[in-house]
Amino acid sequence: MPQSRIARFRTGFGRVLEAVMLALIASLAVIVVLGVGFRKAGAALVWYDEVASILLAWLTYYGASLAALRRAHIGFPKLVESMGPRLRRFVLTFRETMVLGFLLLVAWAGWKVMGILGGTTLVSLPWVPARVAQSVIPISAMLFIIAELFGWYDASRNGTGNDGEGATR
Amino acid sequence: MMFFLLFLGLVALVAIDMPIAIALGVVAVFAVAVTSGLAALPNTALVLFGSTTKFPLIAIPLFVLAGAIMNASGISRRLIALASALVGFVKGGLAMVTIGASMFFAEISGSAVADVAALGSILIPEMKRKGYSTELAASVTSSSATLAVIIPPSIPMILYGVMSGSSVVELFVAGVVPGVVGGLLMMGMAYMLAVRYGLPVQEAFRLRRLAATFREAAWALLLPVIILGGIFSGWVTATEGAGLAVLAAIVIGGIYRGLNWQRLRTAMIEGGVQTAVVMLLVATSALLSEFLTEQQVPQQVAQAIVGFTDNRYAVLALLNVFFLLIGLFLHSAAAIILVVPIVMPLVHAVGIDPVHFGLVVTLNLGIGQQTPPVASVLVTACSVAKADIWEVTKVNVYFIAVLAAVLILVTYVPAIPMGLVNLFYR
Repeated sequence: MPQSRIARFRTGFGRVLEAVMLALIASLAVIVVLGVGFRKAGAALVWYDEVASILLAWLTYYGASLAALRRAHIGFPKLVESMGPRLRRFVLTFRETMVLGFLLLVAWAGWKVMGILGGTTLVSLPWVPARVAQSVIPISAMLFIIAELFGWYDASRNGTGNDGEGATR
Repeated sequence: MMFFLLFLGLVALVAIDMPIAIALGVVAVFAVAVTSGLAALPNTALVLFGSTTKFPLIAIPLFVLAGAIMNASGISRRLIALASALVGFVKGGLAMVTIGASMFFAEISGSAVADVAALGSILIPEMKRKGYSTELAASVTSSSATLAVIIPPSIPMILYGVMSGSSVVELFVAGVVPGVVGGLLMMGMAYMLAVRYGLPVQEAFRLRRLAATFREAAWALLLPVIILGGIFSGWVTATEGAGLAVLAAIVIGGIYRGLNWQRLRTAMIEGGVQTAVVMLLVATSALLSEFLTEQQVPQQVAQAIVGFTDNRYAVLALLNVFFLLIGLFLHSAAAIILVVPIVMPLVHAVGIDPVHFGLVVTLNLGIGQQTPPVASVLVTACSVAKADIWEVTKVNVYFIAVLAAVLILVTYVPAIPMGLVNLFYR
């Protein structure tokens, strides 16, 4: 794919993840505030803590994909930075293979679990299938993989094995 | 043997800059596959999902968001002006202002990195203009920001509370006295350095100026009253208090007319990413914790150390050294998530109050934020000040010594963290 098309795809991918994050964090704040308000008014919302907890899980995994795109996950880059270019490239390839392997396994496990859950529903909202809540695991694992591939592409292009511009690990 | 191999594997993966959260997941999945077979692997998805749906953890994104909104709405300048009117008349006043403003800001944000980024960008250039060395300006900003992790609300305390099963509210209350003591001792150190380097006063004390800055900052000062008053009185839980903090931050931001959609959007996305980074650590460490618990590793660690000594002060000394060493190499959230579940059986076995231990852990890791090579807060301060980390550390050792003194007080005088807890909650 030409470089500019990759850059455009990356920008669009980042914007979609940002929009999802905005929606999730705003919903979480609104639901918690509503939950307090209704409880204090003597009409507690039965679904409030279950839905808020699921939103936190979604925030975690979709946010983790965005953090991966921004290379913001916590790491320890000192040793790799001190390596020569060839060793660094080898280490980078090994590392990314392990990371992608783990994420593929998580996506597979998440897909399997969705099948196992079958017709199970949320406790407080019986019309919502539990699979909807659990879908975050396989979907976000695939998004994380795309984000990691962008990082790997950057590192290969600049030839140093570094994570590219904006690395904050 | 398995535990040792896992530890080695984890160290190796982290050493090649694999994100710590992913490294935890990789070693956990490997261990499960080896001991329980491939059929156990789909359970990975259930554990990853379940570990992030703990209700108390919802407080983390909400406190981060409240702090980000308040910062985006121009609260930092108002807090700095008030602190300047309050303590700026002392020699080295601007360093005291930094410490005082950090203490105020800590009551809102709960994050030391947010604290140093918000205040450092204003105060470090100002200190340099007043003749402070770059290293002193960076070190006073960095070390005073660490007060954010002991003054409630505190994100590391929320994490510790969830990991250890302790009350987050009691942990918050336990942090009040050590936070104030730490702030005052740091101001004392700043004064001594100011005398040594001949640093100027910031402004003369004027009651009228104090009253004016207080009026300007009054809405901002209301926020900790809402957050902490609501939580401490039992009117709301810590999570609900965080939700109210977001609401109050938006209202106060509106009153100050400093909030616009672009700033709010950025604050929300940044807050979400920060939360996700910490929460992914929580999730993948749950995979490893589940495996270690099945293998009874925490119990074995407890038995081994109790066999060596069951004196609680000796055990606290050992744990202090252990956490200080860990703080050199691990981010505080990662250290809490990884180590706390393993050492809790030991803490219970020798009769240490988990809330007291929570303060010891938080302070240790606060010191870790100041000690390179992995020192998130110091790195942020140095980046704002455009200073070399090792040069700043040469000055920062004075402030690290103050934090170490507070740690010793908190460890060996339990009444300091536990006095208010025992008075109101036991």
